[in-house]
Amino acid sequence: MRDNLLDVENLSMRFGGLLAIDDLSFSAKKDNITSIIGPNGAGKTTVFNCLTGFYKATSGSMFLNKDNKKLDLKKFSDFKVAQKAGVARTFQNIRLFPQMSVLENMMVAQHNKLMIASGFSILGLVNAPSFLKKEKEAIEISKYWLDIINLTNRADDNAGDLPYGDQRKLEIVRAMCINPQLLCLDEPAAGLNAKESAELNKLLLFIKNEKKTGILLIEHDMSVVMGISDHVVVLNYGKKIFEGTAKETKNSPEVIEAYLGTED
Amino acid sequence: MNKNFFQSSIKDSLFTGIVALALFGPIVGLRTVAVNEALVVQPKWLVVGLIVLVCTVGRFLINIYTFKKEQRRGEASSIGKSITNFLDTKGAQIALGAVIFSVIFPFMPFADRYWMDIAIMMMTYIMLGWGLNIVIGLAGLLDLGYVAFYAVGAYSYALFAIHFGWSFWICLPLAGLFAGLFGILLGFPVLRLRGDYLAIVTLAFGEMIRILLLNWYDLTKGPDGLTGIPRPSFFGLPFKRYPDEGVETFHTFFGLEYSPMQRIIFLYYLILILALITNFFTIKIRKLPVGRAWEALREDEIACKSLGVNPRNTKLTAFAVGAMFGGFAGSFFATRQAFISPESFTFIESAIIVAIVVLGGMGSQTGVVLSTIFLIGLIEVFRDFESYRMVAFGGAMVLIMVFRPKGILATRKPTITMRKEK
Repeated sequence: MRDNLLDVENLSMRFGGLLAIDDLSFSAKKDNITSIIGPNGAGKTTVFNCLTGFYKATSGSMFLNKDNKKLDLKKFSDFKVAQKAGVARTFQNIRLFPQMSVLENMMVAQHNKLMIASGFSILGLVNAPSFLKKEKEAIEISKYWLDIINLTNRADDNAGDLPYGDQRKLEIVRAMCINPQLLCLDEPAAGLNAKESAELNKLLLFIKNEKKTGILLIEHDMSVVMGISDHVVVLNYGKKIFEGTAKETKNSPEVIEAYLGTED
Repeated sequence: MNKNFFQSSIKDSLFTGIVALALFGPIVGLRTVAVNEALVVQPKWLVVGLIVLVCTVGRFLINIYTFKKEQRRGEASSIGKSITNFLDTKGAQIALGAVIFSVIFPFMPFADRYWMDIAIMMMTYIMLGWGLNIVIGLAGLLDLGYVAFYAVGAYSYALFAIHFGWSFWICLPLAGLFAGLFGILLGFPVLRLRGDYLAIVTLAFGEMIRILLLNWYDLTKGPDGLTGIPRPSFFGLPFKRYPDEGVETFHTFFGLEYSPMQRIIFLYYLILILALITNFFTIKIRKLPVGRAWEALREDEIACKSLGVNPRNTKLTAFAVGAMFGGFAGSFFATRQAFISPESFTFIESAIIVAIVVLGGMGSQTGVVLSTIFLIGLIEVFRDFESYRMVAFGGAMVLIMVFRPKGILATRKPTITMRKEK
């Protein structure tokens, strides 16, 4: 279990009378893309919200392996999951800062290290060289990622003015700017056309292979799921009904039943 | 113009006339006059008739005008665009021109006591507008109780100066610090609130401070107010015609004739410097990580959390910094008036400052200046018309919202650009 990046054990989440997640256990490996699939309302996004601190799980535990230390994710409240544990996420409905430029979006993602570099604004107010250097580095990092998604020439445009597909990709690279251990993507291919989702696959594989960042993926687009997943977890009504490789999942009778119903 | 349209315009304007009659009939038409110690109703139907006529004809003209405008909408909006463009491209020159003008303003031939007083008042509002712009324009927190920090600044300045006899330059930062602390005090309970709820709590906070000042008689002298707040001195040189024995004054030190204008001009420069400090601070901090985090928080708080930005600290710093500048402006107010009472810190003050920020275009520093000149200037120009000046004030707001619904200057410049790097 040492090489597991994320271990979720017996996770449950209850909203009043509704058990959204029921005793869920799974793990995700480093340098792996782990997909969570399931019909609508299966509790996929709820799992993400528990992991990233937006919800407090009713019971169970979540451990993240960061620099060979086991971090209990339940101990971190909302923004600290991203700040301290390094779990980044994107959202089902894109959440960029639409009135801010693309570059500013990337800079906000590097807020915490820049805040320290700016001496909590005191060094920044007097233009301290150490701060300017760090700021330049942050711009370089932004440029590096924007080059990858071919958005460098639009860096000064408002993020809200970008085409939909570019907004999706921008949200992913913005999340990468916090240098995450684990990147949680909530339906990144939703609304993308075939060419765009092929580009998305390339980007996700790049993040996995070059950046050695574990990816947790919620997706309905099977071309994405089957094309790049190393491991698939299938949920239905908050319960895990299957776990295995993409190929195994495709042929599993339980999964087919959950999606298509039973034959009479 | 087709007949159908003509008919509907007439119908519409007649309806406007009826509404005007119903409104102005009782308000303007039936006036009570005291005759021999008795109240007599004196009808003024001629005035009512005139108002109704103006409303009806005006509405009719607007109908026709907007119909015509419909056809040349592109043209009309291009005028607004070219103004915005002009302000955008020549923004630096305009700002420089405005600063130079305000520096030489006291030496203009027309700058008499009346104009200087108006200029000082406008500068105070500009400074308050810039301070509140941090909270509303950048951080997007609708604060309707900003006057509370103005009051805290004024009262803490006055109390320090009266009881401890400290000079202006010691009391000023202390007052700012106190106001900033109150900003954090307000910030904590409202951290989770957004939008309307936040507005209501901040409004209540403003009233709480005023009522506290009104009732804590031992400290604040309640409705009597604080008197005898020391006037500011020019680095230790007082502005007095007949100084105490052995004290050198401003005019003797510089070998000038005594004139009461010297003090006014000094006050003017004082508020000008304070306002410019506020402005430069805001421009600078907007480009720092904390400033970007404020704007990001305004855009999307959940996205901020997902990127590890601490929303609590970010909001509290916005409240504290905004409140601090309110406190600075408050201490200037106290030293200028030499007398303060809770009456100076009513809700209408908050409302005016919020109006200045919103009408100027949220987050725009130049917009604050323009809308202050427009709104406060109008109130002053209409001073002779007594209560009608509030009508002018409201009219100005309506006009701005009709022609520039996002505020006078609504364009936002990115805090950091890539182009420079290439």
